[in-house]
Parts: sequence; structure tokens; C-alpha cells
Amino acid sequence: MSDPKDTINIENVVASTGIGQELDLQSVAMDLEGADYDPEQFPGLVYRTQNPKSAALIFRSGKIVCTGAKSTDDVHESLGIVFDKLRELQIPVDDDPEITVQNIVTSADLGRNLNLNAIAIGLGLENIEYEPEQFPGLVYRLDEPKVVALLFGSGKLVITGGKQPVDAEHAVDKIVSRLSELGLLD
Amino acid sequence: MERPSRQRQREQQAEQTSDETLQCPECSSTDVITDADQGELVCDDCGLVIDERSIDRGPEWRAFNHSERQSKSRVGAPITETMHDRGLTTTIDWKDKDAYGRSLSSEKRSQMHRLRKWQERIRTKDAGERNLQFALSEIDRMASALGVPRSVREVASVIYRRALNEDLIRGRSIEGVATSALYAACRQEGIPRSLDEVAEVSRVPQKEIGRTYRYISQELGLELKPVDPKQFVPRFASALELSEEVQAKATEIIDVSAEQGLLSGKSPTGFAAAAIYAASLLCNEKKTQREVADVAQVTEVTIRNRYQEQIEAMGFR
Repeated sequence: MSDPKDTINIENVVASTGIGQELDLQSVAMDLEGADYDPEQFPGLVYRTQNPKSAALIFRSGKIVCTGAKSTDDVHESLGIVFDKLRELQIPVDDDPEITVQNIVTSADLGRNLNLNAIAIGLGLENIEYEPEQFPGLVYRLDEPKVVALLFGSGKLVITGGKQPVDAEHAVDKIVSRLSELGLLD
Repeated sequence: MERPSRQRQREQQAEQTSDETLQCPECSSTDVITDADQGELVCDDCGLVIDERSIDRGPEWRAFNHSERQSKSRVGAPITETMHDRGLTTTIDWKDKDAYGRSLSSEKRSQMHRLRKWQERIRTKDAGERNLQFALSEIDRMASALGVPRSVREVASVIYRRALNEDLIRGRSIEGVATSALYAACRQEGIPRSLDEVAEVSRVPQKEIGRTYRYISQELGLELKPVDPKQFVPRFASALELSEEVQAKATEIIDVSAEQGLLSGKSPTGFAAAAIYAASLLCNEKKTQREVADVAQVTEVTIRNRYQEQIEAMGFR
């Protein structure tokens, strides 16, 4: 039996930071090459970095959200690019603003089909949410680590809500052990 | 107004005594029965009479048909959760007739009209009660439109009242909570209606119903099992005028294919519809995919996809 942990793949990392001063987005949008700013659509300015690929949402308050990166290193790298760009526009940015990871989305594969009905009953109906009429996945909220896992009939799963990459590994371990305890993994 | 028959009363009494775990002092069996005819408490194992001349709590009168029961009973209708006042206050009916069925004089008629108006106004004491009255009448209206039996309406009303007591309605629409209470009640009572069907008779969109349902079922800890597609089979089959044979076949198809894990993550209505379609073909009572899809409120594409998987699982290919 291959280890489902080997199939873990980080799909998205969301982090937030701030440069500590208010911005005039209109003028930043004019000066910054490749920035999207449409206040009627979205109040923030969207700046996309190509390498590593990610999108930074820059808000009027000076707070910045970086999303779409594939790892925590990528987040730091692409935010570094954003900071450099802002410094080029004569906007003072601290040397090393604090970057906090808010959410990590991971996917994994248990490698076998799951009987979601049995899992829903086995894991206890109070912890899970399974409404096939509304969504084909089973939502399993774990307390430790505090993440939410979406389990699908194909055996694939999505783990979201983690703050560290290891959260996903712990969650997969826990799900695998809970499911094999119940004899639902064969 | 239906009154429990004597026999049912007796069964209930027998149940109650066994619930209290009365023990026979002779053989310490817990099989103790109340015999209402003899007025005795008897051990069913050794036959020891534990207590005699027990009090009969049933009515002292006997009635053999509905009208006799009506004339002899001295109590009103049973209380019901489906009315905001549990059906305890007086309602003045709209027929301007006296107790003998004669029409009222015009003077009396306008008096009754005024009385009725004020009775209707003072039945609710504040806005909270008026809202509850509105919500419960919504539940009743939707239940009628869906053809849901009385018992489910009671359950839906209880769920709504619980949501009200736990302050879950704040920030949500009354109609939305009422609709999801009805949806939950149908599922709890094992006669599920799909969200589509419920949304059709409701004044709120399906998305909101689903969202509110998830919220109240989580907060109230309803712990409803996922809907079993088999529960849809009799209703859909009778709407399509299919025979018992087709129903049995469809149930079998669902059992076999669900066993192989085909049901995981699939909509139960679509699954049931495909099984009925497959069964109707196998039993030579063919219905078109369009007909089945209309009854089950799914698309033909869903039926085709599920049908392919099920047929494969059954090994007919």
C-alpha cells in the first residue's frame, strides 16, 4: 500500500502582509506595469507576478494579500518582487514586512474509491456534512489539526484551512487511520 | 378527530408498564402485562397476578362510530404544534350558521363578523407570535402543495420552533427556515422530497434552502442520514404509473450498484431515476428518459450517465 502522504500536493497558499501606510491605488495603477485596477469590480489592485506565478491584491489601506502561490517560499519570493516594485515607485516599504500565511490548500489521493455514505455514518454525523444533493463531496471538519477536508468518491481529497504544510500531512494521517479503524479503506 | 382505539390504548399501557421495568416478585421476569379487561397486572411468564382492580384511565363511555364518539367525547381537538397557539384558542368559523345549521339573522351576522374579526386579531399577542403564525402557515401551505402527511407537518413545526428557541432565525428569512424545517422533517420521517421539489413550492431560492438547512441541522444536531435513493422509488414509480415489478427491480438495481460504491457523491434523485428507467426497460414497461427525468426533476443526461454505470454494475453488458 503506497502512502497517501506521497500524493500530497500544495495547490494554493494565501498569505497576508502590509506596508504600513495608505496607498493611492489610482496612481499606483498608472505607474505599475501590468496592474489591474477596477474599483467597480473589486476594491483592490491586482498585480500578477509570473515567476513564481501568483497574484497580489493590494488594498488602499496598504495591506497586501498574496494568493495563487504553490508554496510558502513562492509566497515570500513573489511578495519580495511586489515590495521591490513598490520601492521603485518611491513608496517606502519596510525592509522585511511580516508575512503571515493564512491558508494552505492541499490535494491528496487515497488511491481507492470511497463509500461516502458509510463514511458519513461511521465518522459520526455531527462532525461531517454530506449532502449529495447539494455537493458531491463529504465535508469533514477536524479539530486537530484544525482543517477542513473534502473527501470525494474517487478517493481524492482536498484539505483546506491549514496554516502550515505539515497540517495537511497530519490531517491525511488522521483521516487514513480513522477510516482504516472503521474498516472503510479496502 | 381520531381517538386511539381501545386496543391501541391497551397496547400503549402494556408498553408503559414494560418501560418502567416492573419485575415479577415471583420469577423476577420483566414481562409484566396490564390486562385492562380484568383490571389486573399479570406476569406473562409465571401468571402471577401482581395487582388487581387497577384504575382504568380510559373513557367511561363507549362509542362504536365516528358520530357517537363526537357526541360522547367531552374534550376538544388534540393540541398540535402546527398552530402558533397549539390550537388552544377559539376559532370562529366563517359559516354564518347557528348550532342547528340555520342561517343567522342579518343583525347577528354582523355581530359575528365583528367578533370574528376581533378574535382573529387578539389570537396573536405580539409580533413574535404573528411571525410564528406566518411561518407555520407557510409550512402548512408547502406541505399541502407537496402532499406531505400531517405527522410530517407536526415534525416540521417542532423543528421550526426549536430553531426559533435557539435563536437560529435571526439573520435568516422566516420563509427560508420554514422551508428547510419542512425539508428536514420529510427526511427525518423517511419520505424525502428533493430540494428541487421543495424549492418549487417555496418562496425562497433552492440555494438559500440548502444553506439554511445545513445550518439548522448542524446547530440543532438533527444528524440526518444521507438520503437513500430507494425512498424515492415508490413515489416516482407511481407518478409514472409503473408496476410493483418495476419498483422491486429498481430497488434491486439501487442495492446492487450502491453496494459497489457507485452512489458515492451522486445525487439520490438522479440515482433513483436512472434505476427506475433501467428497471422499466428490463420489465418491458419502457418509459422514455424524458418522462422519468420530468418526474424526478433531473436532466436526461444525468439519467443516461447513471444508467450506464448501473447497467455495467449489474453485469448486463
